[in-house]
Amino acid sequence: MKKLYYDVSKCLACKTCEIVCAVGKSASKELFSSITEDTKPLTCVKVKDAQGKNFPIACRHCKAHPCVDACIAHALSYDAKTGRVLHDKDKCTGCWMCVMVCPYGAIRDNKKLKVPVRCDFCADTDEPRCINACPVGAIMFLEEDELESREQSKNKK
Amino acid sequence: MNLKAESNQKTKNNTMKNIIIIGNSAAGVAAAESIRTQDSKSKIVMVSDEPYFAYCRCLISNYLSGSIEEKKLTYRDEKFYSDNRIELLLDKKVERVDVKKKKIVLAEKQELLYDSLIIATGAHASMPKDLKGTNKRGAFGFRTIKDTNDILELLPMSHTSCVLGGGLIGLKAAYGLKKRGQDVKVVVRSGRILSQVADDKAAGLLLSRFQENGIEVLLNTGVSEIIGNGDVKAIKLENGKVIGTSIVVVGKGVTSNTKLVRDSDVKIDWGISVDEYMRTNIDNIYAAGDVAQGYDLTTNSSQVNALWPVAVEQGKIAGANVCGASLKSKGSFGMNSVEFFGLPLISMGVFEGDYETLVYYNKEKQVYRKLVIDKGRIIGTLLLGDIANSGLYFHLIKEKADISKIQDDLLDTNLSYARISDFVRQDEKIYI
Repeated sequence: MKKLYYDVSKCLACKTCEIVCAVGKSASKELFSSITEDTKPLTCVKVKDAQGKNFPIACRHCKAHPCVDACIAHALSYDAKTGRVLHDKDKCTGCWMCVMVCPYGAIRDNKKLKVPVRCDFCADTDEPRCINACPVGAIMFLEEDELESREQSKNKK
Repeated sequence: MNLKAESNQKTKNNTMKNIIIIGNSAAGVAAAESIRTQDSKSKIVMVSDEPYFAYCRCLISNYLSGSIEEKKLTYRDEKFYSDNRIELLLDKKVERVDVKKKKIVLAEKQELLYDSLIIATGAHASMPKDLKGTNKRGAFGFRTIKDTNDILELLPMSHTSCVLGGGLIGLKAAYGLKKRGQDVKVVVRSGRILSQVADDKAAGLLLSRFQENGIEVLLNTGVSEIIGNGDVKAIKLENGKVIGTSIVVVGKGVTSNTKLVRDSDVKIDWGISVDEYMRTNIDNIYAAGDVAQGYDLTTNSSQVNALWPVAVEQGKIAGANVCGASLKSKGSFGMNSVEFFGLPLISMGVFEGDYETLVYYNKEKQVYRKLVIDKGRIIGTLLLGDIANSGLYFHLIKEKADISKIQDDLLDTNLSYARISDFVRQDEKIYI
């Protein structure tokens, strides 16, 4: 079950991930035409600074997934096989219970479309678009044990 | 008692049990799912006094307003019950629980034995005792699909609808009725709407939205009687005035469905008293959801928090513990997310009182954000018009985090998980 991790020592807050994400969520998937779309596509990842460093944040598809428990419309569900939180927009009523309980603040409200804005790991492609878009390689899409071995080798350096 | 030791023993003792869950909504379903993640053998029977598969109770106002169809209310369909091998008894009311003989008694004296029992009977719409005429045709609580269908059936014959009570249920009903073209009047005994979930300021801003959208709200107004000869014709106010109406929705809160254990040794207060494991005072009987009364971590008292997410969490815990786990609840607290006429409100925990507060208010943008702080921790929040970061506050409340070091940043729009992560338990690694 791969998840997104961020190397904070690398992130420069260039926000390329935000742009690529929003374009990926647009109808045209093209930067210039997406800007003129009726409903502006929104990014699922947001880069915020804290204590002099930059921290991208997006839905973790976390093990606890309180959003699934809080969803009053059964629009959110957890697929134990893939470890992903799935969203069914036909069932969603935009009640924002998921926004209310996300411990990472990683779900936002799309006021116009009345659906949550949250990362689906780019379900329409093989990998999240942000990984390859990041010019400094700060975004990683890894299995948990891959992360551990990377960290160990990093610490050795 | 050493709970861990006890639970290990239970886990080893992997025999087939008879588990009965009374109730088929948020808590009951969560309990059944939780049981099946640990125990594929035991028999699970779910009993419901409603004739439907589990449905999204919170969405009946969307059904009333016409924004979703009845069939879209389904929360768990037939497949859920068959996949999880749940024997589902619908339209059956449990009359009482015989604690000594470990059995439940249904109508017509049907009896079922249990090894473990989870009571998740929920709550029903409260009807004030001093209000006459609540049994007339046209007077409704607003809690079930049936209530909604009954209201919808009367709509073509009705021009004016009255809602008694300015709480969430009442206002959701009012909103739905307005969307159906009714002339709606909301009659509220107290001086403000939403007194259980919003302070004066937030309630005032929301009240304006209702009035601007053509819903008349009468504050400080008591109702003494629902008038009619069989069918509702009018309501009589305490000031003597009479308002003609054919639909009356009584939104005066909910009462836990505890009747089935009232004559037993199961301890009841407002709801069935439970500990952090969702255990009642009787061995092998658990309670969860709107029927359960447990620890509220924001008020530091015992409360029934009749809310969907609370019910799911409690159901999960009860289900796991029936299987021998020792999952603990940190406690619940009031939490609501609603939106009326484009103005969203999230309310959590304590929102007023003699506490330190952090407030942001922007009149033009109709944004009001308030955090209530007690002894260095957030015990409640109100977010109106802009609900960003509400999950972070939820997290800080639930973790009882000491926020004194980040207090100045809490209402900053730049607030993020990174800023609070040092002050809460970190379940998962994100940053390296």
